[in-house]
Amino acid sequence: MNNPYLPEIATIVGVHDEATGERPIKTFRVELAGGRDFNHRPGQCAIIGIIGIGESMISIASSRSRGNYLEFSIMKLGRVTSALHECEAGDRITIRGPYGNGFPLEAWKGKNIITIGGGIGHAPLRPLVQHIRDHRGDFGRLDVVCGARTSNDLCYKDELFGLKGADDVTVHLSIDMPESTWTSFVGFVPAHLMEIKPSSKDTIAVTCGPAVMIKYVIQNLLMLGFPEHGIYTTLENRMKCGIGKCGRCNVGNLYVCKDGPVFSYATLKSLPEF
Amino acid sequence: MASYLLPRDKLNLFLAELDRFQVWAPVNRGGTCVFEPVSGRLDSVEIDLRHQPLPAKQAVFPQTESFFTFGHEGVPQVTDLTAAPETVIFGIRPCDARSFALLDPVFEDTFPDPYYLIRRRRAILFGMACTEPFANCFCTSIGGDPFATANLDLRFTEGDTCFLIDVITGRGRQIIDAIDPSILRAAAEEDGQKSQQRAQNARGLMARGIDLSGVPEKLTTLFDHPLWKRFADKCIGCGICTYACPTCYCFDMQDEATARQGRRVRIWDSCMFAEYTLHASGHNPRPTRVERFRNRIYHKFKFNLDNYGALSCVGCGRCISLCPVNIDLIECLSAVKDTL
Repeated sequence: MNNPYLPEIATIVGVHDEATGERPIKTFRVELAGGRDFNHRPGQCAIIGIIGIGESMISIASSRSRGNYLEFSIMKLGRVTSALHECEAGDRITIRGPYGNGFPLEAWKGKNIITIGGGIGHAPLRPLVQHIRDHRGDFGRLDVVCGARTSNDLCYKDELFGLKGADDVTVHLSIDMPESTWTSFVGFVPAHLMEIKPSSKDTIAVTCGPAVMIKYVIQNLLMLGFPEHGIYTTLENRMKCGIGKCGRCNVGNLYVCKDGPVFSYATLKSLPEF
Repeated sequence: MASYLLPRDKLNLFLAELDRFQVWAPVNRGGTCVFEPVSGRLDSVEIDLRHQPLPAKQAVFPQTESFFTFGHEGVPQVTDLTAAPETVIFGIRPCDARSFALLDPVFEDTFPDPYYLIRRRRAILFGMACTEPFANCFCTSIGGDPFATANLDLRFTEGDTCFLIDVITGRGRQIIDAIDPSILRAAAEEDGQKSQQRAQNARGLMARGIDLSGVPEKLTTLFDHPLWKRFADKCIGCGICTYACPTCYCFDMQDEATARQGRRVRIWDSCMFAEYTLHASGHNPRPTRVERFRNRIYHKFKFNLDNYGALSCVGCGRCISLCPVNIDLIECLSAVKDTL
């Protein structure tokens, strides 16, 4: 019998500082031992850990279409993420997965896609954006909405600003409070969405961010005419096992780790706790 | 169903015959009945057939178990679970045997859990029929029976001078056939009749009960009802209802390590604790005892039915008997039924 709790060893091959200060975020690029393929799909997660410290469920922030590696963007918050922030290229970590359902990409073929991320919430949406840009003919228009508290907190800022001139994706950035050098939108993500006014026609909206942001983004998407089955979110909850057994990540009868993390609003609406 | 009589004073001889197994049995530990491995030390323990405050769950799902060990170089080393001897759980109650059948689908689902499943498949269950139900037993309300044979290999029934042993499975048959024949004798028809009378008597003594029909459907409409606050207001969040529950399985995983070595352990956890769902960000999706109490009831009487087709309760009544503030599951479910 395969042992789903036994992690494999992976090596950090690169570390990139995304945000500094009180809420530091680093992106770690990781490769599996022997160049093994993790076979992850956009929207899936992995449990990464450090032996002797523990494990955390983290969204995979890179698409397999970009190469045989995994990226994780991690804010320093708890015991495991703080230990990870001490790691450098060459250090070994552990990994289990991939876990979760991922985005229903086959069903979304031919559709326009708009991703709406708040803070580090763009991390699980980033592999979707990468996948679409690497399979550009399969999808319609691509819009990326991304907001952060301050310009410093904006995760993937170099990458997102770099996409400003791209012709295959339209990027809409925002920060919560005015800054002297900021020329894009100022305000919360749900308000920015109303300013952008995306068409709901043949469009799938995918959002991730703080719980309160998700709530208002969904409210606004409904106001913009998006149907309940055209709105998706990717959830997080505290997790230990990652495989639907340890009990804690349930929303109603569904487990975020196993049945999610990607849920349509039509599904979420039927769950009592959401 | 073949049946045998085992004189009560020969019980230890019978258990000593099972020397190729690791035998678990309920023993008297300082006045309390506790399940423990007894192989090799039958002379120094007193088998205790009184009420079991804690179920035999830990024989297949230990409160703490090592997933793997590691040295300073950080390479996980897994113990070979199949190297351990097969287990006989003697004296398990029919409700607790049934709880294993409710835990199985959780640990078999999608990513089979080898730690639980190997132990479970290697556990042979010698059940003890309940001739006298305990104060808060209500197994007959939830598909159980004090004399149920389901999930057992042998069923023991206490008589005045002998245990009646009913052979339920082929595995039970094989073990009986290997026992020294001088300990056992074949039971007569009247022994079976006496046992049936005892079963009828036990069902009649069941003081508590509830008709659970309609409860899962009712729960779909009561999520935001004030009754959860009414029950949760009494709760002190101690978690004993979950620790003593034969069907609870939630767990935590922790690393215990020094600089040189350590192990990753699985430990029972409880949905009644705030830390259970607390995010690293400080956000908690179940921030108060109201949400936590409600989740426990919904998990057992709705979500498990949605996911695995059965209520996650065997009616053992331990959560009622052990609750320090007298929160009564049957009263709570009655309130659900009575709510308009």
